Amino acid sequence: MTFSDLNFIFRLLPIFLIIYYCVTPTFRKWVLLLGSLGFYYLNEPRLILVLLIMNLINWLFALLLKKTNSSVILAITILLNVSTLAFYKVGASYAKDIIVPLGLSYYIFKMISYQVDLYKGKIESVSIIGMMNYFFLFPQIIAGPISRYEYIQDNMMWLPQGVKDRSSIFLVLHQIEDGLKYFCCGLFMKIIIADHLAVFWSDLKVIGYESLSTPLAWLGAYAYTLNLFFDFWGYSLMAAGVGVMLGFPFIQNFNQPYGANSISEFYRRWHSTLGFWFRDYVYFPLGGNRKGKFKSIFNLIVVWLLTGAWHGLTPNFFIWSMGICLIIIFEKFILGRFPKIFAVLGRVNVLVIIPVTWVIFAIHSTDNLVLYLLRMFPFIDISVAVNRQDIFYYLRDYWAYLLLGLILAIPCVSGFYKRHKDNLFVVLIIFAMFWISIFSLSNSAGNPFMYLRF
Amino acid sequence: MKIKNYLLLTLIIISSIIVSIVAIHFKDSVYSSYYTSITTTPMEALPFKAMAQGVYPWTEPEINQEEKVDFETIKGNETTIKEFTTVDDSYFDDALFIGDSRMLGLSQYCQALNSRATFYAEKSLTIYDIKNTEWIDDGDGNKVSLAKAIEGKHFSKIYIMVGINEIGTGDVASFKDAYAKVVYGLMYLQPDATIFINSIMHVSQEKDTTDELYNNTNINERNEALKEIADNSRIFYLDINEAVDDENGNLKAETTGDGVHLKAAYYEPWHQYLLSHGVE
Repeated sequence: MTFSDLNFIFRLLPIFLIIYYCVTPTFRKWVLLLGSLGFYYLNEPRLILVLLIMNLINWLFALLLKKTNSSVILAITILLNVSTLAFYKVGASYAKDIIVPLGLSYYIFKMISYQVDLYKGKIESVSIIGMMNYFFLFPQIIAGPISRYEYIQDNMMWLPQGVKDRSSIFLVLHQIEDGLKYFCCGLFMKIIIADHLAVFWSDLKVIGYESLSTPLAWLGAYAYTLNLFFDFWGYSLMAAGVGVMLGFPFIQNFNQPYGANSISEFYRRWHSTLGFWFRDYVYFPLGGNRKGKFKSIFNLIVVWLLTGAWHGLTPNFFIWSMGICLIIIFEKFILGRFPKIFAVLGRVNVLVIIPVTWVIFAIHSTDNLVLYLLRMFPFIDISVAVNRQDIFYYLRDYWAYLLLGLILAIPCVSGFYKRHKDNLFVVLIIFAMFWISIFSLSNSAGNPFMYLRF
Repeated sequence: MKIKNYLLLTLIIISSIIVSIVAIHFKDSVYSSYYTSITTTPMEALPFKAMAQGVYPWTEPEINQEEKVDFETIKGNETTIKEFTTVDDSYFDDALFIGDSRMLGLSQYCQALNSRATFYAEKSLTIYDIKNTEWIDDGDGNKVSLAKAIEGKHFSKIYIMVGINEIGTGDVASFKDAYAKVVYGLMYLQPDATIFINSIMHVSQEKDTTDELYNNTNINERNEALKEIADNSRIFYLDINEAVDDENGNLKAETTGDGVHLKAAYYEPWHQYLLSHGVE
């Protein structure tokens, strides 16, 4: 069950919120833990054991680490967590019977983050309920965002004094209202834009990449770019929205990445909780950019190698991550010397090169990847049975979703939302977006491929 | 307390309650065909499922107004059995092709046919939609029914390929019945036309073994039923799987990207099969 499941929207979430806010603030963390365990169990009934065992191991090591503050204990803990992640990731790519537990990449990163922050003294005391809530937190367990432990500590709805305040019920309603707005926007992005463009992208595979006209290959690259953006941003907004409904602060995972001036900046705005994780727990500990140019380049390569491996172990992820890394190094050390050229070329990189890199990200088979890229850049003609009109068929079917995606990707649109989110007109638009999404969900059950439209 | 601070929440709660009440009230009447189980799907989904099919609370319950058509008269007394013969592309000058996404693919990637014949093909088209819904673009952005679209036009050959989307809907007998009604309806509307029923194209071996619904066992069952509609006089069954299958009776793996559709480069065998299966 995901956030875009009708049963989650109309049953699980409202019922959970009622129970959550009916108990006293001090019990809410327990209710949340039970809810998170139940949510994870619904999605992963068997491999919940892996998460429970890892939680137990991390708790024991955290106690030890708190007592000794030993870097050796920290190193062992990190090694244990990384080994578990590597075992499942590598194992699954070789043996079909090894299944990667749901959300493993995310909760292992949280576990490492917890241990490092504990070692650094950012976490005052080890609490099993705090740890479990942090690792299991149901709005983040499936696909992030990767929050830090302080996120769990910042829940104003857990503060005991709130219950005595007569206005607390209104505070709760206001909190839910706020979270609901994020949730509805995210739902619309995911269901209406991302899911429909996902069908577009899969249609290109149906045609066969060798038969795409060059304009359609480019349109497909932009369609996938928007699909991925709104799928992930939409999901992150829904997750953040549910978090806000529960009293947590809003956690930003995407900050208008396509408004970035360079690819380096793009990746500070794109899936930023993952980017900041790598910065804080890999790049900075390696020395960041403080130990000279070559060490800095080496550190960037390490970070991007790990980023690629985290996403997947097929060659395309390696090509993707190393390609990005090279461009970032180029921007940082060469283009950065020419600010005027950088100002233009940086934007071109974001708007032209990024969609190409997403194609590499999306196509796991190297042969197919080569075919697709050769249709985008037809230096060698490998085309077979190309219909020169094909782009018009797809524009006719998907223009509305592409246009919506382009409009919502413009930075000033989300700026407008932030400034006017309480405006009556904006609220009515969000309300309409909610029911449009429900209409679509009712007819696809949350899976755009559910009613395979042959 | 300002309602403005909770407006979205209030609107969503009130509208959800209204939608649920409407769904519960009409679940046994206009929404009965869309109602499955309250345990698996929230009631809020029901009106939207119906709305997608153009059914609203105020929609009159459908009365079976199926025109009484004497199919035996339409079929006529013509009993001469005809044989297939090889034709050239000019044969398709007065041909109409009707079908789902697979037929749409044929129109988009077989220039020889698309430049000559008329194609009414749409993704997700089913035999149940062909006659009763307005699904054909009239060129002015309006959707019209098949009867309206072919009014005043003359076709000597009509090729049909649907059936994959219907798997999972009804049983083989009801599918055959609906198919036969479409065929006879077309013969009524185009008295000079020869009808070619294209077999439902197989899926790849991988799809066949992993999909509980869209597999070749289910496809073959329905193809057997389609064969029975053919009279080899005015209605012919074309087993196009002969042209696209591998030796095990599955769609050739290399010719498909998703196990269901032909890749653009592989429509030619179908075209060639049609050329070798004309009827004069």
